[in-house]
Amino acid sequence: MSRKIERLINLTIALLATKRFITKSEIFRSVEGYEGSDETKERMFERDKDDLRNLGVVIEVGSFDPVFEDEAGYRIKPEGYELDLGSITGTQVALLSLAAEAWRGAALDGAAHSALTKLRSMGVESDLDSLPAIAPRLNTAHKDFQVITTAIAKRAQISFHYLTQTLLSQVRTIEPYAVATKNSYWYVAGLDVAKGQLRTFRLDRIDGQIRSIASETGFDIPEGFDVFDSLKSEASLNEAVLDIRKGKAQLLRSTALTITDLGEWDRITMNYLDASRLVDLVLWHGQDVLIISPKPLRDNIVARLNEIVELHG
Amino acid sequence: MAKSPQTPLSRTARLLDLVPYLSSHQGIELLTLAQDFDVSQSQMIADLTTLWMCGLPGYTPLELMDLSFDSGFVTIHNAETLARPRTLNDEESIALLLGLDLVIESLPQERTDLKTSAMELVGKLSARTSIPAKLSAIPAMPGSVRSLIESALLKKSALKIVYHSSYSDTISTRLVVPLELRVEGGHEYVWALCHSAHATRVFRLDRIQSAEVAPLPSAQPMDVAHAQGAMIPYTIRIHSRPREVMERFSLDKDSLDQDLQLTSYSREWIRRSVLASAGSVEIVGPDDLAQEVAAAARAILKEYIGK
Repeated sequence: MSRKIERLINLTIALLATKRFITKSEIFRSVEGYEGSDETKERMFERDKDDLRNLGVVIEVGSFDPVFEDEAGYRIKPEGYELDLGSITGTQVALLSLAAEAWRGAALDGAAHSALTKLRSMGVESDLDSLPAIAPRLNTAHKDFQVITTAIAKRAQISFHYLTQTLLSQVRTIEPYAVATKNSYWYVAGLDVAKGQLRTFRLDRIDGQIRSIASETGFDIPEGFDVFDSLKSEASLNEAVLDIRKGKAQLLRSTALTITDLGEWDRITMNYLDASRLVDLVLWHGQDVLIISPKPLRDNIVARLNEIVELHG
Repeated sequence: MAKSPQTPLSRTARLLDLVPYLSSHQGIELLTLAQDFDVSQSQMIADLTTLWMCGLPGYTPLELMDLSFDSGFVTIHNAETLARPRTLNDEESIALLLGLDLVIESLPQERTDLKTSAMELVGKLSARTSIPAKLSAIPAMPGSVRSLIESALLKKSALKIVYHSSYSDTISTRLVVPLELRVEGGHEYVWALCHSAHATRVFRLDRIQSAEVAPLPSAQPMDVAHAQGAMIPYTIRIHSRPREVMERFSLDKDSLDQDLQLTSYSREWIRRSVLASAGSVEIVGPDDLAQEVAAAARAILKEYIGK
């Protein structure tokens, strides 16, 4: 195992150090570790190239001498190999440390840790004292969280079972665009392949494994796509008017678009995405919150209440 | 600490990252280095020994990297080619971008200087990944709350918190001594001695609206037994929308087709939860609880008549 690792490191160093393309035969002659028949060396080299590529090292292939169409040459451009964040301050390194630290014990802990190691290798001292005392945390979303992030990076579809309202487990296949988290819930949004429409899924409602589907074609992620903007634009189509007793229902007040003072009550307007969720939330608040409009929602809540009376009467 | 899995590729990646790390941390202690890379000391020695055999073609002492670690402190020389850290891969960028967004959202409102600084990083990192989408992370609570709780846990000190109780829909100010932080069902909770209630209480972190350090109150007898409260047993039947019911009552997916016997500390919570289930859930027993729910529903209906 050590021999192979040594060879990969030596190959990386040789390809990084060269200014011009170097040919395969030069590599076999000069880089330590290429031994055996020509065929063996060829196979070794092909595998080594793949391995380095899997590590994110970009090997450029070019012609050694274009005039004579010589054998192909190889090199690694330092600009592509090295981390270059331009000029960066100690405060910014501290912010990045805090960002990595947020993953401690959660899904991307490993990636955050290795990123931090690279950042700390830039030689800029982290200036933690310049930050206020905050300790943000990201919770673990789904055991297959990394399958999603890898799929987004590689433009691969993912497939999973999703629990419907009636607890049926439906297979959904999407082209994932982005993940996001809000108030401890995680979401993945993307194009639902079967429906041909944009859909957002809550990760805690995914039942069992998330699988990535290898594909040749890939897909494009819309520039600047934002999970919450996409949810918000759906929500902005629906507006409700609620009456809230003074001093009550903090949760609903915080989402109000407008608030009008009615004395004993306040009247608020708000946007909502899911009508049945809004009904649930309003009912949670008992006699302190009433739906005024839209009328179908108001009628629905009255019907639900009559149902509850009937069930328990 | 979990040790990183060993494959030739993961070791190669680690060795490539070791060189720039050592170059910027000359003389680092071997033990610290092993911890920073999440490996055992003997693994780190094996890594350094392998690295020692690498260098530029020629592989004479002039070309090989020059490592020294016998003294327990590690230095590296003659390693200029690999001395710069490697570029971030997509997974690492995604982790940092989500983390940064969370940090930005967690910073105090007035620290626009830091927010600008962090935004600049988001711009730089985004430009270097292949992911054009925005990666958003919106925290459930102000970033300072957890930090204050963590430090109170360490120092065994007291905090004054403003808490919104969802059960009673009230906001109260309480003096607490945090005992433990726990995650349950995706939400964070702090167990604390509550001096306002003279008992231990559980607070959901995202319902703590603000927190500040407070002087430790003089020792008062704590009625811990009272804190346990009396569990209220009740039985429900599910009529529709099992997913919402399952989430609301924290039920197991495979046990929903029968009457479920549950318990709760709070009558108010049961009543609100059954109302919020909008007819999907029926209280089968006890009778007085069922009547309480019916009465609450009638009272709400009465409010609608006037509106």
